[in-house]
Amino acid sequence: MQRHILKIPFIVFFLILLVFFYLLMIDRNPSKIPSALLGSKVPNFEANSLFKKDKFYSSQEFTNEITLVNFFATWCKPCKDEHVYILRLSDEMGLNVIGINYKDKAEKTTKWLKKLGNPYSKIAIDNNGQIAIDWGVYGIPETFVVNSEGIIKYKHVGPITKKIYKEINLLVRGLQ
Amino acid sequence: MASTLGNILLWLSLLFSVLQFFNSYKKDNQNTLKINKIAVNGLLASILLAFFLLIYSHVISDFTILNVVQNSHTTKPILYKISGVWGNHEGSMLLWILVLAVFNYFLFKLYNNKNTIFISKTLEVQAFITIGFIVFTIFTSNPFEVIFPSPENGLGFNPVLQDPALAIHPPLLYIGYVGFSAAFSISVATLKLNIVNSLPWYNYMKPFVLAAWTFLSIGIALGSLWAYYELGWGGWWFWDPVENASFMPWLLGTALLHSLIIVEKRQSLQAWVLLLAILAFLLSVVGTFLVRSGILTSVHTFALDPSRGIYILAFTALLGFYSLILFGSNSKKYFNNNYFAFFSKEGAILINNIFMIIVCSTVFLGTIYPLLIEAITNNKISVGEPYYNSTVIPILIPAILVMGVGPILSWGKQNKSEITKKIFPSIFITTIFTIIFFSIYRLISPIGVVGIVLAFWIISNNLVIFYKKINRSFGMIISHLGVGLLILGITGSSVWQIEKIINMKTDAEININKYKIVFDSIEEVKGPNYLALRGNFLVYDKNKNIITILKPENRFYPITGNFTSEASIHTNMLRDLYIVLGDGNLQKGWTVRLYYNPLVVWIWIGALVIFLGGLISLKNNIKKLA
Amino acid sequence: MIFKKNIINIFFIFLLQFVMSGSYAVEPDEILLNKKKELMARNISKNIRCMVCQNQSIDESNASLARDLRILIRNQIQKGKTEEEIYKFLTDRYGDFILLKPPFKLTTLALWFLPLAFVLLGIFIVYFHNKKSIKL
Repeated sequence: MQRHILKIPFIVFFLILLVFFYLLMIDRNPSKIPSALLGSKVPNFEANSLFKKDKFYSSQEFTNEITLVNFFATWCKPCKDEHVYILRLSDEMGLNVIGINYKDKAEKTTKWLKKLGNPYSKIAIDNNGQIAIDWGVYGIPETFVVNSEGIIKYKHVGPITKKIYKEINLLVRGLQ
Repeated sequence: MASTLGNILLWLSLLFSVLQFFNSYKKDNQNTLKINKIAVNGLLASILLAFFLLIYSHVISDFTILNVVQNSHTTKPILYKISGVWGNHEGSMLLWILVLAVFNYFLFKLYNNKNTIFISKTLEVQAFITIGFIVFTIFTSNPFEVIFPSPENGLGFNPVLQDPALAIHPPLLYIGYVGFSAAFSISVATLKLNIVNSLPWYNYMKPFVLAAWTFLSIGIALGSLWAYYELGWGGWWFWDPVENASFMPWLLGTALLHSLIIVEKRQSLQAWVLLLAILAFLLSVVGTFLVRSGILTSVHTFALDPSRGIYILAFTALLGFYSLILFGSNSKKYFNNNYFAFFSKEGAILINNIFMIIVCSTVFLGTIYPLLIEAITNNKISVGEPYYNSTVIPILIPAILVMGVGPILSWGKQNKSEITKKIFPSIFITTIFTIIFFSIYRLISPIGVVGIVLAFWIISNNLVIFYKKINRSFGMIISHLGVGLLILGITGSSVWQIEKIINMKTDAEININKYKIVFDSIEEVKGPNYLALRGNFLVYDKNKNIITILKPENRFYPITGNFTSEASIHTNMLRDLYIVLGDGNLQKGWTVRLYYNPLVVWIWIGALVIFLGGLISLKNNIKKLA
Repeated sequence: MIFKKNIINIFFIFLLQFVMSGSYAVEPDEILLNKKKELMARNISKNIRCMVCQNQSIDESNASLARDLRILIRNQIQKGKTEEEIYKFLTDRYGDFILLKPPFKLTTLALWFLPLAFVLLGIFIVYFHNKKSIKL
């Protein structure tokens, strides 16, 4: 019995190191948190629209096609960097992309989109950050993929890169 | 060129370590000794020179060296140019190796004509550890890497790191947890060789454990002190993973220190001590892994790099597997059937040990649990301050109670009436002190009472011991007294803190405790490398006398574009008055954060007293060896 | 670097009035008038992790998300929500990660149970030692 007790420190140590090794090996980002909303329905919200007079009602969107939701702002540099991919998702892939303008100024956003191109079918304004909180957003840009039944299937935190663009591409094809 | 010289010195140090490692401990004692002498001194000299070379390069702003470029700047004050050397990953690895080499040197000094094989084996283990770290440094974290073309100036610096406490905090910490390497090496040598009862290996181990523990204590305390005055809300411990990484070796070190006493007196618990010595150092190395591998984020982590992580993990695995398998197979011969009665000094020390281990295991569990969950379920959770407060504090309470009693008890079993007689004076004094305390500080809260009683319990026990000359270990009495003072400070500042957050325009006033604070004026101030907005707050006591002017500042450092906020603190034995200037302007006024922190200074005094006690014990223990 | 004194100073005062550095945590304009409700808000905030900081609660952090969440919590308290309801609201959106005190779930069973197990083991060892010492 004593013999076996003496082996316990080694076994515990071994197991812990195994966990560390595993975590090092997999591709993980220690600062990215998985979304709590995956598999849930889109949060219900209403907001002012950027270019239209009518209000934006979430219950009226997300009902019959795959939709991307992109949280962005003109003051956010990574948002500018990823914009080209958002355009590609909207133009080349023909996806419906809804933009949510986070803590921004309408005139600035208008100018920004005019200059860089507007991929969004609709834009909701989130001045106080409450819509972002409803979506569990903690750092923009963040992009969600919602299926045709209004279920959130995927979330990416941070700017869309070539790699993520491909991922979304594959995902959307799978959903169709 | 500095870089070439630096690399040569690093490779030289590697060479000497390799020499020490392959130097056989089994045969020809005199030759072994001579070769080790060369290796030990050569290693120390080369790494010391390398270290000074890096310091020199920083001081003269040699921007051909990447490390200098990344971490220094011509306008940095010279003190911080020097401390900047170990404030970055590569430089700190050099410090790691230096401390290993210094302890290596002192291990060598243990040689006498009876223990040559044993010390040679110890040096072999220490050499292995040193090789591991030098190889890591040369190949993944080389501070002497060049940059070409060399830029005009460095990449600035973080003004938050330019601070005296922060400057000295790393070297002290490193003497701490790197110092446990010596205990590790002695333990492995003890397990490997069959020296049960033939050599007092525990006598060799004790001064090293004392040195490591003592400096780790003050190192941790300085980190907390810095956090207290720098971070702006009077907090000083956050259960951040990297703080935990220094706390765990400290806990094991405390257990190790105390059980070494039992081994000395009773030759009991030898196997346990051997295991603890291994675990304390392994935890230090695992801590290094956690901080530098990118596996966690924390305010302390260095630049994230998985390849470094893999190396450190592999090396940790090597050290750990070898030592723990060795323990599993060889420790049996160090067991004896000495069991302790509950009511005895050794019983009290055993209880202390168990509590330290429980706290350490809990802190370890809390620190790695998010990683475990992530590996198994792909979900992420947080384990923060509330968890540690609910688990660690309740466990520490009985530990502290026992800590008061332990030194008063004698070796061997005593009956309950003897013990009651012995501790009665302390119970009496504790009660008196507590009553006096609460008649002055009239705020009674359950946890506050518990904390104060515990603090006075420790203090009065040690006063009794000192007065009655029960125990001749002066260092221990001082250190334990220090713990009592520490608990006093922790309790006061946690339980009875008063916080006021208000908007103030100039000429506004606010009362806190019995003080009146008047916001007199706001002005611009120019510092050596910053511009500041300073608020002047007059502090009046209840008799309308002015006590001090508090001057919190908001600073802007043009070179990096950093903003910092500097709290202004007025300290006395009873409380700190702590003020932070927030956002604002002349029309609307400023956000002002005001804190009344009772008894905070006793935390720092307590830590200093613990440190002094440790140094006294260290001196006495070294004398014993000679 | 030569500072052009006047320009830098004016720029600087201007800058500091609007751009903030170390303005920590709860702002005066967030504080609820009802002391009990404010205390509840502070206690909840101390348990909510700042998602964009390194190991701070939203009570301590000056990040804008932290402030948004502090305000949200106070709004919910004003609406009469309980602590559990507020925690649920936040974990529904941000997951368990946002709680600094880990929840009591199947996956955290070990986390909460093991310290107790350690203590029981410790008591057992001491008891065992004591018993054996009497026998001898």
